[in-house]
Amino acid sequence: MLNLNLPTLASSIVKSGATTMATTSTQQCYVHPVVLFSVLDHYLRRNDNQERVIGTLLGVRSEDGRVVEIRSCFAVPHFETEDQVEVDMEHHRSMFALHKKASAREQIVGWYATGSKLSKYAALIQDFYSREAAPFSAVHLVMDTELTDGQLSIKCLQGSPIGAGAHPENCMFLPLPYELQYPDAELTALQAAADSKDSEEGYAVLISDMEQLENSIEELKAMLQRVTAYVQGVCKGEEKPNNVIGKYLMDMLAVVPKIDSKQFSTLFQTHLQDILMVAYLTNLTRAQLNIADQLQRIV
Amino acid sequence: MASDNKAKPMTSLLNEDNQLAAFDSSAIPKQLLPVLDVEKSVPLTVVKVDPLALLKIVKHARESFPTPVNGQLLGLEINGVLEVTNAFAVPTQPGSEEDMTNYQVEMIQCLREVNVDSSSVGWYQSTRLGDFMQKPLLEVQASYQASPSGMSSVVLIHDTSKSEQGGNLSLRAFRLSAAYLELAKKESFGTKDLAEQGLTYGNILEELPVHVESSSLAKALVAELQWPKGVEQELLAEMQRPSSFNAKLRARRLADRSAVADDSESVSESTDSALLPSRPAAYLGRPTSSLVLDQSSGGSLNRQLEAISELIDEHVHDANQWMYWKRGEAKVKNSRAQFVQRRAQSNAAREARGEAPEAEVPEAELDRMFRPLPEPSRLESLLNTANLNLLSKGVTQSRGPALTKMFMAQGLHESTN
Repeated sequence: MLNLNLPTLASSIVKSGATTMATTSTQQCYVHPVVLFSVLDHYLRRNDNQERVIGTLLGVRSEDGRVVEIRSCFAVPHFETEDQVEVDMEHHRSMFALHKKASAREQIVGWYATGSKLSKYAALIQDFYSREAAPFSAVHLVMDTELTDGQLSIKCLQGSPIGAGAHPENCMFLPLPYELQYPDAELTALQAAADSKDSEEGYAVLISDMEQLENSIEELKAMLQRVTAYVQGVCKGEEKPNNVIGKYLMDMLAVVPKIDSKQFSTLFQTHLQDILMVAYLTNLTRAQLNIADQLQRIV
Repeated sequence: MASDNKAKPMTSLLNEDNQLAAFDSSAIPKQLLPVLDVEKSVPLTVVKVDPLALLKIVKHARESFPTPVNGQLLGLEINGVLEVTNAFAVPTQPGSEEDMTNYQVEMIQCLREVNVDSSSVGWYQSTRLGDFMQKPLLEVQASYQASPSGMSSVVLIHDTSKSEQGGNLSLRAFRLSAAYLELAKKESFGTKDLAEQGLTYGNILEELPVHVESSSLAKALVAELQWPKGVEQELLAEMQRPSSFNAKLRARRLADRSAVADDSESVSESTDSALLPSRPAAYLGRPTSSLVLDQSSGGSLNRQLEAISELIDEHVHDANQWMYWKRGEAKVKNSRAQFVQRRAQSNAAREARGEAPEAEVPEAELDRMFRPLPEPSRLESLLNTANLNLLSKGVTQSRGPALTKMFMAQGLHESTN
């Protein structure tokens, strides 16, 4: 257990001066969506009467330490009272060791907390994590699980020492630009999560590729209809023309490749033949397997 | 909790009749019955996966692609519904059995401290081409299903390359069928056993439907990622300022589905609090549309076809081997029958000559003399067939969308000319 006391209690377990360490400041932050879902899950599973949850962020840094990629995280139990905060250090250490075994590249890059505003112990915890993440500065991710303004806002912050004396409790949190990363594989998972949001039953059934394609084509059609309606509206003078939109449309149309009709039809035919051939062969294979299986039973 | 609720009706029964009432399951509240279902009489019907577990699996599989990875699934099983709420990766480095067990036990203990469901409900594995039917997989799953606490374990198979290229999540849940387990217990996979149990390449594994279910907070997060509050107005506002170079750049980045966080502006805007008023942080839009509509099937079709032809070769090899055995067996049977016949003939001849017939050779002796060839285990070829079936099915299914996309391209081409 690490006990971090507010300085009014005069006990100085936390060694001051740690924040003066020459830390390279972080300038850009990339967040993987799994981190956000983990934080929410942790928040949902918090103990009774617990207002916020905290945890350790893991990720990788660029060589100069300016760019951070937050790839995963784990929960750390902590306990807040009026004038003291306890962080379960043992849990933090053992979890990190376990994570290290599965994905060796990920290091401690910071910590997360939930809530609409910073806790009064944020500076103390930030100081602790700065030492864990040394020689780089620690990143602090805050998720507003109280949904202030009906919004689940996500912020990335970094601590910066303030004031004449270097005390860990003197810390200002500065916003850090961040972007969410969506690798292709994760997008498909997020699409499934989005479908579960939109479905009436509250869950999404995984659909086949063909159905997925159908949905996409429907969407594309809807988009085209919207654009067509807009363009016609402009032509009739009902809508206000907008040069920027016009430019986008121009750009888009220019992207359509111009292929010679003859060439296209040859390409089309050969490709079609390939596809049909592959489909035929694979179906044949399956039929063969089925026959072999049936025959073996007779034998 | 369950026993508390149960205790009352039972004691009241005791007082009334002054004798021990027989255990009456109707006295248990109906909604508690599934919880008390210790013998697992309710069969699993569906697997519900939380987006958190889903993302963890996808991330783990993607990061070490193309090496297949596996990990543990945590969750709950209630009333035939298996809820997978969390997952964690298992190290791929070869380690001793003990290390692995220790790692998993420690991990589960740590997760229990933060109130994560600590019961294992199975495991996951990633695959590259879809030929996941391998002996180790069956063995591991058999050991899961054999343990008393893991009767209802499942294995989730995630196909990374298919998910990435098709733009459609490929996640399937499987359990071993009773027929396979029965044969695995006896460790005999002869043709006769297979026919008796009705085990074919198609029913080694039973597939369960997978549902994705998210918590309300997770839904809020997805909504936030898809369409952050204010991003529409912001985009519109930028559009109204044609001079702004930023607008074009931003719109392009938005369209690219990549997240945008223009916090350099928000710095100047907020001064009053340490926490900034939140800005549109990201834009997910319609994530998979552009992936789904992508024409090229990449190199995966090539690889799949290569794998198929390899498997066909193996299949032929297996079939030949089986034929060889069959011929050998027939030969043995033949010579045995001939021997018996000859003996009978010579006995008949002896009788005709009035001599005492030679003693009948007992069955065991016959077996010893004409040892029947043991049938090679059919498991390997069965798995091979199953893989071949899976692969060719996958390729056939992927041709449908490919055809559709081609005709779309044709439509586009015709309309532009």
